[in-house]
Amino acid sequence: MTIAAALGSEAAASGPAAAPPGTSRPGRRPRGGAYLLLAPGLVYLLLFFVLPVVALLATSLYVPVPGGDVGQFQPALEWQNYASALRAFWPQLVRSFAFALVATVAALLIGYPMAYVVAVRLRGRQLAQGLLLVLLVAPFFTSFILRTIAWKQILADDAFVVSALKWLQVLPADGRLTATAFAVVAGLTYNFLPFMALPIYASLGRLDPRLVEAGGDLYANGLTTFRRVTLPLSMPGVVSGTLLTFIPASGDYVNAVLLGNPTSTAMIGQVIDSRFFRVADYPTASALSVVLMLAILALVTAYVRRAGTEDLV
Amino acid sequence: MTRRPDLPADPVIRALVQQARRERSQRERRFGPGDSGAVSRRSVLQLGAGMAGLAAVLTACGTGGGATGTSSSAVQGRDVSATDKSVYWANWTLYLDYDEETQTYPTLETFQEQTGITVYYAEDIDDNDTYFGKVQGQLARGQDIGQDIITLTDWMTARLIRLGYTQEFDRANIPNADNLLDGLKNVDFDPGRKNSLTWQSGFAGIAWANDRVPAGMRSVSDLWNPEYRGRVEVLSEMRDTVGLIMLEQGVDLAGAWGDDEFYAALAVLEEQITNGQIRQVKGNSYKEDLISGDAVAVIGWSGDITQINFENDDRWSFALPDAGGTIWSDNLMVPVGATHKRNAEELMNYYYDPAVAAQVAAWVNYICPVKGAQEAMAEIDPELVENPLIFPDDATLAKAHVFRTLTPEEETRYNGDFLTAIGA
Amino acid sequence: MAHGTTTGVQDAAGPAGATDGPTSGGSGADLGLVGVTKAFGSYLAVDDLTLTVPAGTFFALLGPSGCGKTTTLRMVAGLEHPTSGSITIGGTDVTARRAHQRPVNTVFQSYALFPHLTVLENVAFGLRRRRVPDAVARARDGLALVELPHLADRRPAQLSGGQQQRVALARALVNSPAVLLLDEPLGALDLKLRRQMQVELKRIQTEVGLTFVHVTHDQEEAMTMADQVAVMNAGRIEQLGTPAELYELPRTVFVANFLGQSNLLPGRVREVRDGWVGVDVGGTRLVVPQDRAVSTHGDVLVGVRPEKIHLLPADEELSDDANVVGPGRVTDVSFAGVSTQYQVEVPGLGTLGVFAQNLAGGAQVALGAQVRLAWAPRFTFGLDGSTDASDGVVDLDRA
Repeated sequence: MTIAAALGSEAAASGPAAAPPGTSRPGRRPRGGAYLLLAPGLVYLLLFFVLPVVALLATSLYVPVPGGDVGQFQPALEWQNYASALRAFWPQLVRSFAFALVATVAALLIGYPMAYVVAVRLRGRQLAQGLLLVLLVAPFFTSFILRTIAWKQILADDAFVVSALKWLQVLPADGRLTATAFAVVAGLTYNFLPFMALPIYASLGRLDPRLVEAGGDLYANGLTTFRRVTLPLSMPGVVSGTLLTFIPASGDYVNAVLLGNPTSTAMIGQVIDSRFFRVADYPTASALSVVLMLAILALVTAYVRRAGTEDLV
Repeated sequence: MTRRPDLPADPVIRALVQQARRERSQRERRFGPGDSGAVSRRSVLQLGAGMAGLAAVLTACGTGGGATGTSSSAVQGRDVSATDKSVYWANWTLYLDYDEETQTYPTLETFQEQTGITVYYAEDIDDNDTYFGKVQGQLARGQDIGQDIITLTDWMTARLIRLGYTQEFDRANIPNADNLLDGLKNVDFDPGRKNSLTWQSGFAGIAWANDRVPAGMRSVSDLWNPEYRGRVEVLSEMRDTVGLIMLEQGVDLAGAWGDDEFYAALAVLEEQITNGQIRQVKGNSYKEDLISGDAVAVIGWSGDITQINFENDDRWSFALPDAGGTIWSDNLMVPVGATHKRNAEELMNYYYDPAVAAQVAAWVNYICPVKGAQEAMAEIDPELVENPLIFPDDATLAKAHVFRTLTPEEETRYNGDFLTAIGA
Repeated sequence: MAHGTTTGVQDAAGPAGATDGPTSGGSGADLGLVGVTKAFGSYLAVDDLTLTVPAGTFFALLGPSGCGKTTTLRMVAGLEHPTSGSITIGGTDVTARRAHQRPVNTVFQSYALFPHLTVLENVAFGLRRRRVPDAVARARDGLALVELPHLADRRPAQLSGGQQQRVALARALVNSPAVLLLDEPLGALDLKLRRQMQVELKRIQTEVGLTFVHVTHDQEEAMTMADQVAVMNAGRIEQLGTPAELYELPRTVFVANFLGQSNLLPGRVREVRDGWVGVDVGGTRLVVPQDRAVSTHGDVLVGVRPEKIHLLPADEELSDDANVVGPGRVTDVSFAGVSTQYQVEVPGLGTLGVFAQNLAGGAQVALGAQVRLAWAPRFTFGLDGSTDASDGVVDLDRA
């Protein structure tokens, strides 16, 4: 008996299980009721996503009412709004993506080992896993303000961290940590760390430990097994983690406001906020929002294509 | 006098509680828009709350086109005060005397007892612009926004009056309004105070840490001393920061200055930011930097310094520069569509009673705009009678200037250019 | 029974010629375990195990689940480390080596194919790690060996269970390991496919001449494929030998029951004379060859396989040298094509099973008939009488 014959018989055996040609399975074709179930979601999306986006697009093309008061605009198709907004604020846009990218990479470098230890090294030890996960998320139960203020006190010019770094000559004598680009990126990293670590944790938790054993069995040492087996299989978690970090980080401005300085840390979210609420320049704010949205969409599409994670699902 | 509960003994907890309280209490708002650069509750609430932002966009869109010329179409509210003994008042947080133990506002309680009018007091306002965005649509259509009194800062008050979003007072119902300080009686945005009355005022000036600047400071230029490089912060409120620099340059802030004067002052600011002298441009949060030592000298607000001194053993000094500082006010207004104007007037009249005004001033620590309150204060807290930041003397008031009202075009352009300069 | 089918390859023990397979020159090595113990906390999974697997042997570790066979395999693979004892491969002590440093490959029970790699890359994985030249070409040869070259570019998820099993086998084989470990590799396959794969695995082993260590709980699978079988129970080896030895001469009750079926009759030794042991079983005298008896005094169990027993009419005369019990009553007759299975209840002894080949077509004895049971003394075996006679009886739910 050859294996081919065995395969043949297996194929034959599995044949009847498949749907016979020409017959359709009952219940497979969506009926009217199925579409009805979609309705609440569609209505919700229409009301709270499509309409606002349309409104945003429309507003981005408005022009000031001649002789009108602050914040008064009228409908128009002024595409120049985009050109002038980009001309004025492209550095903040580019900076936002640069900061978000650095923060994402940093969060990955910090979050992956954390997730790895909890999910893989502590596999089966549920108490330890639970405790560490709580520790990871616990800071986010406290008020953002309190946390950041505490942070600022710790990193203040006269506090021990800066003094220690100066003593170690890591920082120059007139160096500082707050009000720097470093502080903004560190703040972004810190605030989005759970969004990076948790998806990776989930991904690694699903990893079959026997695959790691198989790697070792096939002459791969620990590092190689990680590189060739564990890491590729945790890519879905890495991809969602990086997206969950990068997207909000590029639009974030609170960290830049709290930890930044006036010359080198302004991010696009900050500009949108100030144009919207302080200058009441709604068209510029809207145009910048649209640009930000499209830029993120383009970057994310390119990234997901590149990462090619659909194979792993 | 203890206006707040005792603080915990542990210094760390104490600091955190103080800061939390400050966050809660502070008028991160005050100059309202001056705050995108601040740790404001608003900015935090907006973190991730894209929907709220979009809703605001929708609001803006809805009114943006049709908002012109509403001033003439504004309808005076139907006044039901006679039959409905109630009044609705929107104010900033921690801006009225409050008894932590009974959880009531003592002066309000008294008013209700005296008049039988029920006051629905809401700490609804935490930012001029955000609040404006919230109610603008209804005001433009002359609708009742559910408040009979709103409390907003000068420049926003000016905008509301200009747009016809307020009801004119019947001053006969507010006889105590004559107690308004003379300097506040004729403002350019509301000559004769027909539509607004001052609630509280405050100064913007310079402040410094006594231990780091033992010789003190007398001018804005003192902030540019290279010794303090990277340790200076200024307010993200254009009218105060640019205003102080303009005063330093000899400009009469209330006068007919123009682009030349404004941009000359802005150039100084830009230079000091670019060369690293100014560390950050902030709203209220400069206080934390003073406490942590990251900032040793600032352009700041008088009430803030009073407050952090109260909690930190008088470590700082505040002064109006020799060339002058700015003075701002929050104003009470009756919005169009409000249906309890008569009751609102009665409430305002009550708070312009010097004894009541003194009671409020003793708690909120801002400049009391009511004549006679200083004398009344003697009975409440004698220590505060001579406090020039609550009851400024003539010499102090002579140094305080009001930023002139800007045209809409100027306001948009100056604000945008100022924000760009401060990196926001 | 299938035990006879392995006789044709008995002489393949040792690195016999068949090394011209696609893996070119795979030659197995001896595997030795000396005093290997593995404790998980207070639980002894493997208890002082000593074992030698000669190079080129197809060796089966047989036992019920939880007997320690998989733990033993994992210790050989380097996936577990012994609490004490040593493991040698080809004479080299590998006890301290990690999995990737051992010349050993495993076909995992779940196959453990890498889902993110193609079939070809799965097979080439080990070759690439060892930087073998022509890794891809050799991986293709490996796929050819298991007759799946056309699926090289698929992902494991697109393969059937049988195909995955074959890929797992190829992935291990292409590395020409000194020892190939198979952890219940056929467990997930349906019965028919499993039979075919048993034959196929044996063919491949003969072809490549590697040392195979095969862990299974299926006694028929072990006997079909293995040159040597070690029956494990509770962390120890009960008995080790060729399938025929284990079947014909079980040395413990566990082996007697776990491998096939046995009739075990409790008795007491009366005499030992001329190489024979005389045992009194419920008043009947049965004899056991002395060299087939584990114990020659006191209580013993006298055993005989069901197919060795003949059924005789109650009145038929017998030669004196046969072991005879009965008469008893036939309580069950099941016809199974090649043979018929009878249950005979003998008063005082209990129920005995009997297989009779259907040489004359159909059952020869009717239900309810009175019969005696006779068998040649040389097929009789004697076991330690202190053991529970049901030890090792296969639980049908688990098998």
